[in-house]
Amino acid sequence: MSNIQVEKLTKTYGSGTTAVVALDHVNVTIRESEFVAIMGPSGCGKSTLLHLLGGLDKPSEGHVIIGGHNLSDLNDDQLTELRRRKIGFVFQFFNLIPVLNALENAALPITLDGVKPAEAKAKATEWLTKFGLADRLVNRPDQLSGGQQQRVAIARALVADPELILADEPTGNLDTRSSDEIASLLRDVSKQYKRTVVMVTHDPRIAAYADRIIFLKDGKVVDETLLERKNGKAADFVAGKVKEFGD
Amino acid sequence: MIDVNLQLTLAARYLNGRKLRTFLTTLAVVFGVLVIFGMNIILPTMLAALQANVMGTEGMVDFSITHISSEPFPQSVADKLQGVDGVRVYSPSLTRTINIPADFYDKDANKTDNVTVLSLMGVIPEQARSVRSYTIVEGRYLTADDSASALISRTLADAIKVNVGDTFRIPSVDGTTELTIVGILPAQIFGGNETVMVNLPEAQIITNEPGKVNVIDINTETTALEERRAEVTKNIETALGNDYQVGTLLTGSEMFASLRLGQAMFSVFGVMALFMGGFIIFNTFRTIVAERRRDIGMLRALGANRRTIIGMILAEGFLQGILGTCIGLTLGYLMAAGIINFIGPFMSSFINLNMGAPVVSPLLLIGSIFLGVGVTVVAGLIPALSASKVTPLEALRPSAAETQFNQRTGFGFAGGVVIIVLTVIAILTGQPALIIPGGFLFLLGLVLLAPTLVRPVALVFGRVIGSLYARQGIGELAQGNVTRQPSRVAVTASTSMLALAVIVAMGGMVSSLTGVLFDLVRFNLGSDYLFVPPSIALWGSNVATTPEFANQLKAVDGVEAVSTLRYSSAISNGQAISLLGIDPVSYPAVSGFYFQDSLYADDDAAYASLTEGRNMLVNGSLMATLGKQVGDTIEIVTPDGTLQYRIVAMGTDMLNAKVTTGFISQTNLQNDFGVTDDVFIQLNLKKNADRAAADKTIRALAEKYPTFKVVIGTEYYESLNSQMNAAFSGMYALFLLLALPSLIAMLNTLTISVIERTREIGMIRAAGGTRKQIRTMIVAEALLLAAIGTAFGILGGLYLGYVIVVAMKGIFPLGYVFPTNGILAGILIGLLFGVFAALIPARQAARMNVVEALRYE
Repeated sequence: MSNIQVEKLTKTYGSGTTAVVALDHVNVTIRESEFVAIMGPSGCGKSTLLHLLGGLDKPSEGHVIIGGHNLSDLNDDQLTELRRRKIGFVFQFFNLIPVLNALENAALPITLDGVKPAEAKAKATEWLTKFGLADRLVNRPDQLSGGQQQRVAIARALVADPELILADEPTGNLDTRSSDEIASLLRDVSKQYKRTVVMVTHDPRIAAYADRIIFLKDGKVVDETLLERKNGKAADFVAGKVKEFGD
Repeated sequence: MIDVNLQLTLAARYLNGRKLRTFLTTLAVVFGVLVIFGMNIILPTMLAALQANVMGTEGMVDFSITHISSEPFPQSVADKLQGVDGVRVYSPSLTRTINIPADFYDKDANKTDNVTVLSLMGVIPEQARSVRSYTIVEGRYLTADDSASALISRTLADAIKVNVGDTFRIPSVDGTTELTIVGILPAQIFGGNETVMVNLPEAQIITNEPGKVNVIDINTETTALEERRAEVTKNIETALGNDYQVGTLLTGSEMFASLRLGQAMFSVFGVMALFMGGFIIFNTFRTIVAERRRDIGMLRALGANRRTIIGMILAEGFLQGILGTCIGLTLGYLMAAGIINFIGPFMSSFINLNMGAPVVSPLLLIGSIFLGVGVTVVAGLIPALSASKVTPLEALRPSAAETQFNQRTGFGFAGGVVIIVLTVIAILTGQPALIIPGGFLFLLGLVLLAPTLVRPVALVFGRVIGSLYARQGIGELAQGNVTRQPSRVAVTASTSMLALAVIVAMGGMVSSLTGVLFDLVRFNLGSDYLFVPPSIALWGSNVATTPEFANQLKAVDGVEAVSTLRYSSAISNGQAISLLGIDPVSYPAVSGFYFQDSLYADDDAAYASLTEGRNMLVNGSLMATLGKQVGDTIEIVTPDGTLQYRIVAMGTDMLNAKVTTGFISQTNLQNDFGVTDDVFIQLNLKKNADRAAADKTIRALAEKYPTFKVVIGTEYYESLNSQMNAAFSGMYALFLLLALPSLIAMLNTLTISVIERTREIGMIRAAGGTRKQIRTMIVAEALLLAAIGTAFGILGGLYLGYVIVVAMKGIFPLGYVFPTNGILAGILIGLLFGVFAALIPARQAARMNVVEALRYE
């Protein structure tokens, strides 16, 4: 896979006088293995952009091109397959299946893809072990802490070996320490495991883990900033930017 | 395959994760299967007992020939087989089932009778031995010179404690006949009719069938070729003519038609129960899908396709179907065994039928499994399809309990209105063919209208509930909770409606039936004395008596009138019917026919018409079976040819209501069927008679005819009454059983409703609502649910009650009675069930931890 191209992406809800433009001709390029945070005030269209990147929704205008595939040209089955094999999702509320244990949850995408159970579980075990959950494989979600659940969710997102990880407020439901752990983990996914990570967040501290931040306001890109970490004050910088564009 | 594994794993885990809901839903399947399976065991068991009781013996012969009327025919017919190509040997015989009166052998009322029925076989000894081998374990075989001699089985000999050289008696037309045992046959492996083999002339005397036989056993040349066998069969049929058939005797088969009708009714009952179960499952699955929208959305986001989602929901249905079906089959068998055990004494005393172990046909077993699993999976299909339409975005939205505020007046509503209108028109036509299916369609129409009617009906009843609970502050809340989910409430109300409609209708039917039945019993069987054979209605299995007994009774000082019934079986239009000969003068004096339709203005004229030509009174069962009307002519096949009889009136009598029966004069019965012997006698004394003296004389005379049990009319009436009351109690229990799904449905709905509103209940408690208020709110909702279901049920029951009257018209004279009792029973059961259904969910809701409830997702 290569870059992700977003060209003149527009999403409108409703019609006529009640139409709401959630995204307004957005153009974005995301490079391979880049860790990008999308920020902006409530209702700016950041989650909408994420949904469209993941093929969860269809744009009103414009294109999303991932690995040379224009998502608008794909039908529902093809989009489903894309989500299964090329994209991993991390949700704010973890969205683990309550009746499956950690290992089964992590193996779910490739189980759905027809991989044999033993092989699926082996791959999932590998990822869960990397994320420090080797001793939690048979625990159900209600037996795990929030941070542990989100790590299972990230393992699930990676198990199919996708090139793109989309995270929607992955730390929104976690305490500060767990949030930092998860954000750090996502950075490792990008740098160590060479995946492209796009994360929506409203938390400047978490956004500071990213390589670049795209700011949205009223459905438009208003700023893109590369972050430098040398002075360790990336978080303050991001906070300043957030204040500039409103939250 | 892997996909299926995942679906089954998820299904099993979800089922295990919500044990109470799984239990409630599975219970619905259990109940449906239990009723279908259990109910359809009872009648085949009765049929099997009937066949074992009345069918003639079969042996290792190639063919058995009988007359199509099952009546005896001239012995000379057998001679026609002489020289028929392919026939090697033949043996004519007169075989009759003889019911043995109670305590006939042991004379001890405290002991259970070992022998209740015998099979008398009159043979020409050498011819009989040429077609079948008889092993003699003691004594010798019969010879042609033997008279008053018999061969009996070892089992019979042991049962009545006799041996070679001893004498024993059997009932006969002259009272009793004594036979000397010359030989013992091997013990019978299977229970049932014990054989008593005598010379043919002896059997003809015992049964008063001079020169007659009723079976010819034939052995043909040995051949395995199907074609040659068919050729020989044709040769036999050509030699004997169309009035003879290859087959066995089927005495009592006139009852089979009624039993088959009963079987059909039970099947309908069972299907209704399963249908209701399907409703409950549908309701549950809809809720499951609503609850799991986020999980389903997440699965779709991860790449599960629609097929996988559908499969996941259906897998749950499949697993529940399997579990529920297995439990239902087990409980159904136990229920059937229990019912058979309960009605056994009734069957034994009334028609001398010994019910054996429950009979389960492989087809019933497979059918029940197919229905149980199939209904569950089909009930989950629409919710599964709905689940597959959940988009991945649902995974990212917060969940909320579904509410529907818009009035639902779509296709279902229109369909429901059309159906209701058509069914009302059907009633106005007066056509049973339209009214009967209309009853069920009316219920379907109500089901389709239910979602639309829920809100306005809830508003009406809600005001009552609201005012009742106004001081607790939860009246409006309860009403609102019910009306915000009209679809779910409609499904619950529909389940209750089906059950309560049946209760209302059946309650009305039972009320009018009991009135009619008890009147009929008094009318038909209210004579001073009755002389009752071992089996009533299955007259052919009893030994009759010569008219001498009745003549002796008529001569007793103080006797005013004696009426007898005489019996012959016949075939009309391929159907077995029962013909009873009556004396048109004495019969109405002592008993009587309950006329429903007649060519004559008064009953006396109808009776008198029996003496003119070939006229017949028939009961509703015969009319329905042959599809005839009063005034029509029917053809009856007799051993002497086909005769035409005209139906002059239709009605019923208590004894033969369930059996296809025609009443003709005893003169015609003698002339056309050669029957002169009595199977049932009734007697009235004069008003001023010396009852004690008459009783003494009557009983002394009756001792010579032990086939008949002497019963005082009033005692018989009391005994029948208590048996009927017991039977009706059983019916009430059945109705209550049918109402159980409505209880399950309400319990299900309320439980799910509580689970769905956990956060809301937590909020009410956080805002200061007490546990008692929460409990009361749930109970109020339950009463509202019950009221809605009951209201629909009463509507449905009124129509269904009318349908039953129309359907029964052909069998029993039921006038339409407004089912007040049924309605009251329906209201009581509906509301009581509502309260019961609320108990567990109300307790659950009241006991919720507030903080956990507020955090619930």
